[in-house]
Amino acid sequence: MALNLRQKQTECIIRMLNLNQPVNSTGTANEEVYKILIYDKFCQNILSPLIHVKDLRKHGVTLYFLIDKDRKPVHDVPAVYFVQPSQPNIHRIITDASRGLYDSLHLNFSSSIPRPLLEDLASGTLGSDSINRIAKVHDQYLEFVTLEDTLFSLAQKASYVQLNDPSAGDKEIEEIVEKIVSGLFCVLATLAVVPVIRCPRGGPAEMVASALDQKLRDHLLAKNNLFSEGGNFMSSFQRPILCLFDRNFELAVGIQHDFRYCPLVHDVLGLKLNRLTVQGEKGGMRSYELDSSDPFWLTNGSIEFPGVAMEIESQLNKYKKDVDEVNRRTGGADGQSEFEGTDLIGNTKHLMNAVNSLPELTERKQVIDKHTNIATVLLGEIKERSLDSYAKMENDMMIRGGIDRSELMSVLKGKGSKMDKLRFAIIYLISSETINPQEVELVESALKESEVDPCAFQYVKKIKSLNVQLASANSASRSNIVDWAEKLYGQSLSAVTAGVKNLLSSDRQLALTRTVEALMEGKPNPEIDNYLVLDPRAPKSSSGGGGLKGPFKEAIVFMVGGGNYVEYGGLQELAQRQQPVKHIVYGTTEILTGAEFVDQLTLLGQKMGLGVSSANPPAPAQ
Amino acid sequence: MSAALGKTSYRDRTPEFLSVAERLKKSISSGSNADVSSSSSGKPDGTRSAVAVQSEFNKRASKIGFGIHQTSQKLSKLAKLAKRTSVFDDPTMEIQELTAVIKQDITALNAAVVDLQLVCNSQNESGNISTDTTTHSTTVVDNLKNRLMGATKEFKEVLTMRTENLKVHENRRQLFSSSASKDAANPFVRQRPLASRSTASASPAPPPPWANGSASSSSSQLFPSRQSDVESQPLLPQQHQQRQQQQQQQQQMVPLQDSYMQSRAEALHNVESTIHELSSIFTQLATMVSQQGELAIRIDENMDDTLTNVEGAQGQLVRYLNSISSNRWLMIKIFFVLVVFLMIFLFFVA
Repeated sequence: MALNLRQKQTECIIRMLNLNQPVNSTGTANEEVYKILIYDKFCQNILSPLIHVKDLRKHGVTLYFLIDKDRKPVHDVPAVYFVQPSQPNIHRIITDASRGLYDSLHLNFSSSIPRPLLEDLASGTLGSDSINRIAKVHDQYLEFVTLEDTLFSLAQKASYVQLNDPSAGDKEIEEIVEKIVSGLFCVLATLAVVPVIRCPRGGPAEMVASALDQKLRDHLLAKNNLFSEGGNFMSSFQRPILCLFDRNFELAVGIQHDFRYCPLVHDVLGLKLNRLTVQGEKGGMRSYELDSSDPFWLTNGSIEFPGVAMEIESQLNKYKKDVDEVNRRTGGADGQSEFEGTDLIGNTKHLMNAVNSLPELTERKQVIDKHTNIATVLLGEIKERSLDSYAKMENDMMIRGGIDRSELMSVLKGKGSKMDKLRFAIIYLISSETINPQEVELVESALKESEVDPCAFQYVKKIKSLNVQLASANSASRSNIVDWAEKLYGQSLSAVTAGVKNLLSSDRQLALTRTVEALMEGKPNPEIDNYLVLDPRAPKSSSGGGGLKGPFKEAIVFMVGGGNYVEYGGLQELAQRQQPVKHIVYGTTEILTGAEFVDQLTLLGQKMGLGVSSANPPAPAQ
Repeated sequence: MSAALGKTSYRDRTPEFLSVAERLKKSISSGSNADVSSSSSGKPDGTRSAVAVQSEFNKRASKIGFGIHQTSQKLSKLAKLAKRTSVFDDPTMEIQELTAVIKQDITALNAAVVDLQLVCNSQNESGNISTDTTTHSTTVVDNLKNRLMGATKEFKEVLTMRTENLKVHENRRQLFSSSASKDAANPFVRQRPLASRSTASASPAPPPPWANGSASSSSSQLFPSRQSDVESQPLLPQQHQQRQQQQQQQQQMVPLQDSYMQSRAEALHNVESTIHELSSIFTQLATMVSQQGELAIRIDENMDDTLTNVEGAQGQLVRYLNSISSNRWLMIKIFFVLVVFLMIFLFFVA
């Protein structure tokens, strides 16, 4: 069973639209009942990447509204509510019920509605004597946003800041952990799996893991749980593994510039909920949708930008060729000599074929146009900010573990927006193994010259000085020989070996990818051996049996604190590389661009008191 | 419920909700039993008629929907029958019956949808129902129209497929029958391809097209079995007899005339089929153009947010306009200003 989260969530939503009656095999049951759909802002974000208006109509939904909008009565029609269980929503529902806007209300809450709110709802509707309008109340466990088949996000803002906030109290941290756990629980309930949980020790990941484990245990003990019974004979071979990580595990990925198509579009142009708004070629903003129904996006999302441009060219040429062929066959371009009497049938047949292929051709053209537009805008941005050089140099830095001072200065004084320079500086900080105070001073002064707010930079410096493990990536991406050579011959050789390394490992593998690979294989590995193992199905006293560590075919990877498309791409690559092909679902609390993440770091820096005007930067405590 | 099915991912809280409601009701009613009678859930009379009209609309809509569903089921049966390509075992009777029934259904549904549209329009014009209801009704009618159009298109496709199959039958029959003499292609023999069926009008029984204008004599044995197909063309049996007589009588002259007639018939046939195919192309284009409407709209793409904001802004502006244009407030303000001046005047002078 391949974990296709998007499909499962769409099925759940369709079932909900069918008033929670089972959908029969044709998938169009109960079309005769026309209903109205009402959602709130969060659930709108859940629904919009999954269902278009066309599908809504297919399932009998005629009107769709936000719950806060002023709605008029539509008598004699059932209304399906899909909202979060919160106090204002409950009030709105009570108002709607008492005003008698709709015939019957089917309430679906995106996560479990707590008991006090349920009682509120009951008392409110009893008070206005409209309780008979409420037909059903359901908990849908759908409180997450699925962007692609194997990518989801919990859409919880600023979780990194809240978790790492030095002034946060225990209660606040617990609240956040609780929210994350409930989101993860919804994901697991929708997939109907109880995975084996593994996470590194210490940090928010462990907190989330133990809380989730507890919640799953409690839930499984209850009478009617949401997961299929009979999990006893299911060996670990069939259960997926849930790997929880914290953003601090690999900070660089969230910040650095990447040059592949998908991360570029997200980072530079701002892709939100699979939707993109760019400046069109003839002026005016155009908005496009980029998801798995776009064949070009699907195949070319993970190749580097120059390759994308070439692909667009080749597709355009192919399209032109096809159009010319169609024209030729139907005698459009050529002379009229083709129109003989006997050829008439042939011609009309060709004409019919041409007309039949028209929709497909127009669609192809639309896709090509869309990507041409996006690529043009991207190219403009890249040229202006010289993003390609940023990406390349950051990659080099992470692999080599350091950078030439002159190169560093030239970049900081060169092209690029302030955010770009800040990100570059932070990557420099993360990648260099030892902090050279003079270089750091130089960097800071360069940043000040360019009027960049170095708050985030100082925050990272502080973190690094507290020896939190940030750059586990570069340490292991070198092969053993080179390591040994380094130790023996020192820095002078590193320049030579850098070139060699570049030849050997053209693609730096993310620490996350390596760890997930190791976890999925289950062989003893020094990196992961001290990771926690939690199995909600096993009784508390048993020690993790051998079966639990066996090779897993499927994995769910969750990053607490913010993830992005680079990690997603890396994991998908890993999944495809394996023999046989495995499935990895990637999720995070929210999908952040580099700029947004650095903003969060800035916020943290400010909370720590490392303001812009700090004249004496704290000396690194070695 | 969930444990038995095992794979559901939602939980029904309705029983819990109802029990909570019961409990609260008991506690409320034990406290005060005067409130229960005062709260009347009866809708005011004005809306009762609106509700009646609305439910009439709904009933009709659901009946039409159900009819369309049944028609599409029959269509799938017809498609299965038409696909069966065996030369000798042709279920023509069933196919024709089914075709006739489906055609009747579609015309009836068409009329019903038009009716419903009228009801919807009259309802929209007659006052006191909300804008949302009108949108809802129009959307329902549009939806039904689309579905009916889809069913009709399917019908047309099934019939075209049936024509193709019959052509294939004819060709095969020709192959198997090894007669050298070709029959005179009677130019009176109208070769009506099935593509002539348009959505609203159709002749009840599709006559099998005579492939390429020539029928071998051995296939004449099959003519009697096909007599039933050509009841709409009473001319044909006579023409067959004629043809056979002609054959016997005009053996010599036949070859020459044959080829001429044959080619002319062929040409006619070609032209006719071309015209029909062109018409189908045009209708297809027209539907394609008109279907560009709701192809890929996302839920959050509508301007609802901006609309609510604009509405709110407009409301505020209107209120402000009212406040500054109402005379009463203006007078009071002027009065106040005068009083203040008077006071200052008195203060400083006196």
